[in-house]
Amino acid sequence: MSNAIDQTRRMLSLVTYLRERPGARVSDVARAFGVSEAELIGDLNVLPMCGTSFRGGDLLDIDTDGERIWWHNAGGNADVAQPLRLAADEATALLVAARAVATLPGLRESDRQALLRACAKLEAAAGEAAGASARLSVTFESEGSVFADVDRAIAERRRLWIRYYSPSRDELTEREVDPIRLFAVGHTYFEAWCRLSEDRRMFRLDRVAEIKLLDEASDPPPIEPRDLSAGLVQPAGDDPEVVVEVGPGGRWVAEYYPYDSAEEQPDGGLRITLRTPDPGSLRRLALRLGRDGRIVSPRALADSARQAAVQALTAYDEAHDAHDAHDGHEGED
Amino acid sequence: MAIAKAERLMNLALCLMNTHRPLTKRELRASIEAYREVTSEDAFNRMFERDKDDLRELGLVIETVDALDGETGYVARRDRNRLPEIALDAEEAAALALAAKVWQQARLAGAASGALQKLRAAGVPFDDSTADPAEGHGGSPQGVGGVIEPRIPAHEPAFEPLMLAARDRRPVSFDYRKANAIRPEPRHVEPWALECWRGHWYLAGWDRDRQAGRVFRLSRITSRIRSRGGSYTVEVPDHVDVRQTVERWAGEGATATARIRLRRGAGYPLRARAVETVPVDAEWDDLEIPYGHGLDAWLVEFGPDVIVMEPAELRAEVVDRLRAVAKG
Repeated sequence: MSNAIDQTRRMLSLVTYLRERPGARVSDVARAFGVSEAELIGDLNVLPMCGTSFRGGDLLDIDTDGERIWWHNAGGNADVAQPLRLAADEATALLVAARAVATLPGLRESDRQALLRACAKLEAAAGEAAGASARLSVTFESEGSVFADVDRAIAERRRLWIRYYSPSRDELTEREVDPIRLFAVGHTYFEAWCRLSEDRRMFRLDRVAEIKLLDEASDPPPIEPRDLSAGLVQPAGDDPEVVVEVGPGGRWVAEYYPYDSAEEQPDGGLRITLRTPDPGSLRRLALRLGRDGRIVSPRALADSARQAAVQALTAYDEAHDAHDAHDGHEGED
Repeated sequence: MAIAKAERLMNLALCLMNTHRPLTKRELRASIEAYREVTSEDAFNRMFERDKDDLRELGLVIETVDALDGETGYVARRDRNRLPEIALDAEEAAALALAAKVWQQARLAGAASGALQKLRAAGVPFDDSTADPAEGHGGSPQGVGGVIEPRIPAHEPAFEPLMLAARDRRPVSFDYRKANAIRPEPRHVEPWALECWRGHWYLAGWDRDRQAGRVFRLSRITSRIRSRGGSYTVEVPDHVDVRQTVERWAGEGATATARIRLRRGAGYPLRARAVETVPVDAEWDDLEIPYGHGLDAWLVEFGPDVIVMEPAELRAEVVDRLRAVAKG
């Protein structure tokens, strides 16, 4: 399904395209324009209703037998079939995307050069329509050497050994993984079949502490690529529920964690209900919030955060004494 | 049945492109069936204005000419609408085609594929065998970056109106809740530029209320974007550094260092950015790490595995935060 604007845009380009290609195949043209054959046929049904003269009557004589497309009066229509300049949004969409992709570390140098050359040519051809593209910019982030190794492992279908940092447990684990794909949504990640957990997992490149390419072939089971448009973290319905109450200073929690509900509180705070497969991983959050919020439930999670804080404070007292004994200064407390 | 909008727009575009002299609204109305069907003069005028705007959004340059008899004439001149020669080789075309797929925002995704269609029609040698969106994800090692799938998200409802406002230099107003504010406040802004960093969009612009340049995070805008009349009161700077401001918020670009004691085996990200690491005993290491905004909150996350040694103010902040958590 496409809207009228997209369809008009496409039909204007179709006219240019078809004039150069008498007898073009429906299947080829549909593929070239990124639409289904049914959509293309829809366009081909509209075009013969379009006239090229204000006096009327000079309709585009374009028709198809369902397999090939013919334009019988193309000869007299050079003016309407000339290649059209890019709109400001079109130039912006392409240039901003190309400049962003060119910043990806791990991009093959030949690809980066091709992209930069294409940008320069596009800017020249777009003229003043390229100006607005300076008002949008996107930077991808990723770790260059890790990226290169994952990229190579995917291309050569090889297994990887990684030491990976899990922030929820504050620990490094070693595992063998069969990489499936690399993608960038803000940060750069790779998806892999994890042979430790026997499940698919996402790994953020900046959390890979160490990586080695193994000689074994990778052998991920066939799995459907996940649709990432709904967000990277998609909690399951049966994950345990966690309730967090935050003051105004803790509202950022609702920006960083996908949640089920966030009720406004009279003090300008929020009562947030979220689900996570591993509530223990939120101890960090409870500690970070300090006086800006607290875990309401589960009880065990709230207790573990409190205990961690008490324990940390004890260590401070000890370290404080040791520190004082050492240097004999620093009048804290 | 009313004639579909795409057919009407197409007819208007073709008439304007194919004429060698400006056409009046009356002539256009007489020659385009969809306009003849509209009986009310007002309705026709509104429709005609909208259609012209739509075609201009698609890149068509429509000139307005005062004709001799006092009526306005319209023409899309051939030379002003022609795409200049663009010679992309197959490698450049392939790189561009892959980059065009990164948008997850409907308007820009549509614009990117529209741009590719125009370039394709103009003879740019795209490889049609990989143009099918249903294929292409099979892990083939060809193309940009081998198999990377970069995506640019833009789920914030404020994104599109702000993008258009920055493009057309239109002042806007919206309600904005600062990270720690209780209630949103109305802000009046002249938008300069939008930047996506770590997956979040930010707006840089002139804040009329504060009479200063400011950066706003789009996810903190709580109202719709309202367009204000008039033009910018302050010149748009040549270079807008959104990132520098955001990095400062994120505590990067630190200028000082702190000394912390860290339990062995814990706190890998702290170790990864340590300037110096010295073992203390079997259980602890001493680390020197960059000290910037937000370090106190981050260190508290590590609970009893981190003890701040210096500076005293950081130590006091961390102890303060721990006490708040210990109280429950």
